[in-house]
Amino acid sequence: MAAKDSPLKQFEIDPISNIELGGYNISFTNSSFAMLITVLVITLFLTLTVNTRSIVPTRMQLISELMYNFIAQLLSDTVGDNGKKYFPFVFSLFMFVLIGNMVGMIPYQFTFTSHIIVTFALATIVFIGVTILGFMNHGLKFFSFFIIPGVPFYMHPLLIPIEVISYLSRPISLSVRLFANMLAGHTLLKVFASFVVSMSFFGIFPLAFIVALTGLEILIAFLQAYVFAILTCLYINDAYHLH
Amino acid sequence: MNYKNKNLDELSKKIDDVDNKKSTIKNVKNEGGASFGFKISTEIIAALVVGVGIGLIVDNYFNTKPIGLIIFFIFGALAGFLNVYRVMRRIEKQK
Repeated sequence: MAAKDSPLKQFEIDPISNIELGGYNISFTNSSFAMLITVLVITLFLTLTVNTRSIVPTRMQLISELMYNFIAQLLSDTVGDNGKKYFPFVFSLFMFVLIGNMVGMIPYQFTFTSHIIVTFALATIVFIGVTILGFMNHGLKFFSFFIIPGVPFYMHPLLIPIEVISYLSRPISLSVRLFANMLAGHTLLKVFASFVVSMSFFGIFPLAFIVALTGLEILIAFLQAYVFAILTCLYINDAYHLH
Repeated sequence: MNYKNKNLDELSKKIDDVDNKKSTIKNVKNEGGASFGFKISTEIIAALVVGVGIGLIVDNYFNTKPIGLIIFFIFGALAGFLNVYRVMRRIEKQK
């Protein structure tokens, strides 16, 4: 599809093994491979570092504990005491996005978060889960979420559709933000990398720029995982406190 | 006794200093220009996408060709502004 040296070549899906089941293509692709690596890295890292359970933590154990504390703090800050039972969900979501982004930063490695279908699936899980949670907590009163209190009744026909659209746009804005950031960052890296070759001797300047950009990309990788997690927390909070 | 109090005062002052530093770091992090603009634009685009999508579905279903699209496009745009307003309010609250 994309030309051989296109900066978009890195986002191409290529099946490692072709599997077809019931007319659906469920091949094991390079994207699935990256996800598998991500899950393996998370599992191995968290189990191996916390394995020793020393009271004075080693550096690696400290990293795991910091990550745990980070999400636990985030949940208790935004949701409060109700948030504790959603810790496993938010933590795995955060780690999956974070390590997925970080695995993507390794050269020649595929970044699965740069595909909108992956991020949209994640965002949809959050969206549907939060909607079900809202109905579980409030029953049909959940629909009052779309009614802004203190607004005259003749404004409601105008405001309720706006509120509903605003609510439905949540998974889209959540997924587009993560996907577009990763896509733009990785494309930018590739574009500047092509300047290094074409500018021959002066290629040292774009090369220096790439080094800085890689640092920025790692920051963005972390920041986007954080944004994903904090927005999930806010949506869970909305499911508890309607206004 | 007096000596002890003095030490405590110094300590609390130090803690305050560290806290102040922390809050300034937080503020700087919030003011990332590009990411801020990105946040705002995705909010508007997402609401517009949903609005236009609903409009097209309504048109398809009720055979009211341009009207549904027009109405829901406007609703989508308004929802986008509402989203931006909410994001801004959240950012203001953090500061």
